[in-house]
Amino acid sequence: MASNASTLSVPRSSTAVARAVRATRVYGAGDTAVLALDDVTVDIPTRRFTAVMGPSGSGKSTLMHCMAGLDDLTSGQVFLGDIDLGTLPDRELTILRRERVGFVFQSFNLIPTLSALENITLPSRLAGRKPAREWLDAVIDTVGLADRLSHRPAELSGGQQQRVAMARALASRPEIIFADEPTGNLDSKSGGELLAFMRHSVAELGQTIVMVTHDPVAAGYADAVVFLADGRLVDTMDEPTAERVLDRIKGLGG
Amino acid sequence: MLTLSINGLWARKRRLAGTFLAVFLGVAFLSGTLVLGDTLRTNFDRLFTSVTRGTDAVVRGSTVVKGDRELPKHGPVDASLVAQVASVPGVARAEPAVDGYGALIGKDGKAIGGNGPPRVAASWVSDPDLNPYELVEGRAPEQGDEVVINRGAAKKGHLRLGDTAVVQTPDPVTVHIVGIATFGSEDGFGGATYTAFTLPAAQTHLMAQTSAVSRVLIKAAPGVSQADVVRRVSSVLPDGVEAITGAQLTKESISDVNQGFLNLLRTFLVMFAGVALLVATFSIYNTFSIIAAQRARESALMRAIGATRRQVLGSVLLEAVITGLIASIAGVFGGLAVAGLLKGLFDAVGFNLPAGGLAFTGATAVVSVVVGTAVTLLAGIAPAIRASRIRPLAALRDAAAESVAVSRARAVAGIALLAIGVTVVLSTVIGGGTVIAAVGLGALLTIVGIVIFGPVAARPASAALGAPVARLRGISGSLATGNAMRNPRRTSATAAALMVGITVVTLFTVFAASLKATVDRSVTRSFGGDLAISGGRFGGRALSPRLATDVGRLPSVRTAVGLGQGAVRIKGSDQTVTLADTSHLSDVIDLDVVNGSLTTLGPRSLAVSEQEATDKGWHVGDTVPVTFVDGATSGLTVGAIYKSSDVIDDVLLTRASWSAHATQDVDTVVLVKLVSGVSLDRGRAAVERVAAAYGGPTVEDRKQYAASVTQGINMILGLVYVLLALAIVIALMGIANTLSLSIHERTRELGLLRAVGQTRQQLRSMVRWESVIMSTFGAVGGIGVGVFLGWALATAAMRQEASSTLALPIGSLFVVLIVGGLAGVVAGFRPARRAARMNGLAANAGPGLVAATMKST
Repeated sequence: MASNASTLSVPRSSTAVARAVRATRVYGAGDTAVLALDDVTVDIPTRRFTAVMGPSGSGKSTLMHCMAGLDDLTSGQVFLGDIDLGTLPDRELTILRRERVGFVFQSFNLIPTLSALENITLPSRLAGRKPAREWLDAVIDTVGLADRLSHRPAELSGGQQQRVAMARALASRPEIIFADEPTGNLDSKSGGELLAFMRHSVAELGQTIVMVTHDPVAAGYADAVVFLADGRLVDTMDEPTAERVLDRIKGLGG
Repeated sequence: MLTLSINGLWARKRRLAGTFLAVFLGVAFLSGTLVLGDTLRTNFDRLFTSVTRGTDAVVRGSTVVKGDRELPKHGPVDASLVAQVASVPGVARAEPAVDGYGALIGKDGKAIGGNGPPRVAASWVSDPDLNPYELVEGRAPEQGDEVVINRGAAKKGHLRLGDTAVVQTPDPVTVHIVGIATFGSEDGFGGATYTAFTLPAAQTHLMAQTSAVSRVLIKAAPGVSQADVVRRVSSVLPDGVEAITGAQLTKESISDVNQGFLNLLRTFLVMFAGVALLVATFSIYNTFSIIAAQRARESALMRAIGATRRQVLGSVLLEAVITGLIASIAGVFGGLAVAGLLKGLFDAVGFNLPAGGLAFTGATAVVSVVVGTAVTLLAGIAPAIRASRIRPLAALRDAAAESVAVSRARAVAGIALLAIGVTVVLSTVIGGGTVIAAVGLGALLTIVGIVIFGPVAARPASAALGAPVARLRGISGSLATGNAMRNPRRTSATAAALMVGITVVTLFTVFAASLKATVDRSVTRSFGGDLAISGGRFGGRALSPRLATDVGRLPSVRTAVGLGQGAVRIKGSDQTVTLADTSHLSDVIDLDVVNGSLTTLGPRSLAVSEQEATDKGWHVGDTVPVTFVDGATSGLTVGAIYKSSDVIDDVLLTRASWSAHATQDVDTVVLVKLVSGVSLDRGRAAVERVAAAYGGPTVEDRKQYAASVTQGINMILGLVYVLLALAIVIALMGIANTLSLSIHERTRELGLLRAVGQTRQQLRSMVRWESVIMSTFGAVGGIGVGVFLGWALATAAMRQEASSTLALPIGSLFVVLIVGGLAGVVAGFRPARRAARMNGLAANAGPGLVAATMKST
C-alpha cells in the first residue's frame, strides 16, 4: 500500500484548499425562518482529515453542503481554491463538483442500476472521459474490492457500499472529499474499517477530507475537529481523541 | 376509511392527475361517440318525420331490392293509378310523385355538394301538405325547363332566382330557376340538393316510361285514419303495388338508415373508443401500481397499527372508484366537445352528416360513467391486492420499492397464451378459413399473451434497444437503459399502452396496404383500356349512358364501354350487379373468362364470377330467375363465367336486359380503348372535349384510374389514423406519468447523480432516453403484433379475391416506428424538465428535506 503512495499524488495547495467566509444560511422566510448557519468563517487545510461536529441542528451538514457547492449561501462566501462558488452558474458548478470535489453520503451513495465499477467511474464518464487506468487500479486495490466490481449495490454489504462510494470519490483525484456521516449506517466494525481507510487516504495518498459526524469515535480518526452549535463555529481541536471529543461535546450540551 | 381515502387522494392529487386524464379522455371519446350517434339518429328521425309529415299513405311498387351501397329501392307505379286512388272514398287527395338522381351544377361549373349527401331531382308536389318543401321565393315550375331548388343548394352553388343552370339527370338539362324552397324551416334535407321539375318534365328526365311515377302520395279525408285509408286504397290496387301508412314509411326510412349507415358508423366509432379505453386501462394500472409501491410504508404502518388486509385493499379500491367516478363524470361532459370534433372530422372528409343540436341522453351519461369507473376499478384491483399483501414489518425497513422479480409462472402463462393465439390465427388463415371471428379471437389471445409476457421481455428488450443509445449518448444512455431495465413490470405496462395503440395502427396500415395492392393489381391487370371516365367515386356523380356512345364515335377511339351498377334479386337474395354492353367489353377489360363467352351474351343472359358460380352451383347454360325492381322476373341464362375482378361485380348483366326494367339508366364509369397509333395525350384531349358537354367528368389514364379506385381506402385509413391518435395520446400521457412517478421515486438517486457531477442537460437527456427506450419497446412490439394480425386479417378477408396480394408497407411501418420513438421524446419532455429542476441537495440532505421536497411536488 505504502509503495503505491509515492507514485500517487493529490493537487497540493500552499494555503487552505477550501474556505468559508462569514457564511450565513437562512431557510424559509418571516416567522418560519431558520438560521442554519450564522456567520461562520473556517479554513479547511489541505492534505488533512478534518471532522465537523455538532449536535443535531447545529448546521454542520449545511456548512458542508454550502462548501461543496450543493447549496447556496444567504450571505458570505465559500471558496474552493481561489474560486468563489457563489459566482458560478449551475453548469459550471456541476463541472467543478465533477472535477474537483468528491462525495460520500450517509446512505444512498450508489446508483442501483450500475455495477460497483460503473459507480466508481461515474464522475469521469459524466465528464465524457475515460478514467485513468493506473490510478483507478490503485484506488480499487486500496479499497480492496477487486472481486466485487461487477456486483450491483444491492449485492454488497453496507460497509462495501460505503467503500465503493469512497473509491468513487478518490477516483477522480478531487482536491477535496466531503463525507456526510459516512459511517452513520454502518456497524462499528465496518465503520472502523472505513474510517481507517479514510485516514489512510489522507496520510498515504495525500487526500484532503472533510467529514461531518456526530460520532466522537469517528471524529477521533481526524487530524482536527471543528465544533458547531446553533449555526455558529464554537471551537476547534487538533489531534483529537474520542474521549476529548466526547468531553467537549458534553460541554456543548449535545 | 372514506376519510382516509379522500385524504390519500388529495395528498396524491398530482400523481393521480395522469390517471384522471387517461380516464377522462377515454370516457370523453366513448361518450362523444354515443352523443354523435344519438345526435345523428335524432336528426335523421326529425328529417324523415318531416318528409312524411302531411302524408297519410303512400302507394308504391311492392318489389324492393337493395344494392350493397345504397338504401332499398321500390319499383315505380303506373300514373293511371293516381286517378283510381283519388276516387277511393276516404281519400281527400292523391298526388303523383317522381324522384330520382339529378346533380345540380353550381355557378363554378361543378356539381353542388361533396361526397355523400344525395342529389335529388323530383317532381314538384303542388299540395303543401304532401310536400315537405315550402316555397320561400318565386313560384312552382310551370314549364318543362323550370325548376324549384332548395335554399341550401342555391347558397352553396351561388344560384339565384331567375338564373339558368344545368341539372344532370344524368343527361344535362338546361333549366331556369323559378323558385327557392326550404325543407320545413331548414335549408334542405341534410346536405342533399333538391331540384323539382314539373311532373311531365320529371317523368321525361327521371323515369324510363313517361307513364310511370315513383309513388302516389295520399291525404286522407278528415276523420279517416291512416290505417283506414290504406285498407280502402289497397282494395283497388293491382298486383305488385302496395299501400302503406305515412307512419310506416317514416319508420321504414328511419330503420333503413339506422341499420345501414348509422349502425356501421356507431360500431366503427365505439371500436375506437374501446381501443382508447384499453390503452387508458394500462396507464391507470401503472399509476396505481407505482403509487401503491411508493406508499408501501404507509400501508405497512396501517397494518402494523391494526388495519386489516381487507381495509387496506378497500382503501386503495375506494381511491380508484372515486378517481374513476370524478374523471368519468368530467369525461361525459368532455364527450360533448368530442362529438363536435368527430362531426367536424367526418364533415372534413366529405360525409356531410345532417346538422342539428347535440343529443345528450341519460343513457349516454350512465353508460359512460359506469364504463369509466369500472375500467378504473378493474385497473386498480391488481395494485390494490399487492398493496394489501404488504407485511407490517415493511414499515420498519427503509427501501420499499415495488417488487421487480418476474415470475416464472408469468413467462409460462404468457408464452402459452401467445402460442395458443398465434396457433388459432395461423390455423384459421392457413386452413383456408375466412372466419374473421376466429382470427379476432386469436388476435385477442395473442395480444393478451404479449401483455402478460411483456415484463419477461422488457429487460432484454430494453438492454437491446438501449445498447445503441448507450453508444451514442455515453453515460446518459447507459443510465437511461439501466432505468428502463430496473423494473420490467413497470416498463412493460407503460410500453403496453403504446403497444396496443400501435398494434391497431399497424394492423390497419398493413390491411389497407394489402387491400390497395390487391385492388390495384386486379384493376391494372384486368383493365385493358387506355382511359377511364368517372363521375367521381364514392357516392359520386352518375354519367349519362350517351357519353359512352358519343365517345365511341370519336375516330381516335376504338371502343368505349359504359359500366353501370344496379341491384336485382336472384333466387331471393338481393345482389349488386354490373351493367355493360358485353359485346365489346373484352376490349377494355380482361375478365379472364373461364367458361362460355361474353361477346355472344344475349339479351336474356348474364355472366357470373367463378366464385359466385361455385357458391351457387351455377354452370354455363343454367337458367336463373332474376327479379328487377319494377317487379318483373325473367329467367336469364348463364352465358359466361369469369374470374372475379374489382372492376366488375360478381354478376354482370347486359345493358339490354337491364334497360327494360330500369327507372333511370346511368353509368358510373366509361372505359375507353383508343385506336392503336393514337397517342394517349391526343386521345385524352379528344375524349375530354366530348366529356365537357356532360359536365366534365374526370378522364383518367390507367394509373390514375387504379389510384382513384383505391382512393376510398386511403380516406378511411386517414380517418382511422385520426381516431387512433387519441389512443396514442393517452399512451403518451401514460409514459409521461410513469416517468414522473419514477423520477419522484428516484429523487435521492437523481440528487446523488447531480452531486457527483451530472449536469442538468445530462439528466434531461437520461430521462428522455429512458422514455424513448420504453416507447420504442412498445412501438416495436406493436408493429410486430400488428404486422402479424394485419397479415392474418388481410389473408382471411381477401381469400375470395382472385388476385389477393399481401403488402408490407415498409415505408409506412418505418414512419410508425419513428413516430413511436419521437413520441417517447415528447412524453419525456416534461418529466425531464421537472427532474432537472429538482435540487440535488434536497435529495441527499436527509429525511426532513426529502419530505419537504415530496410535499412540494
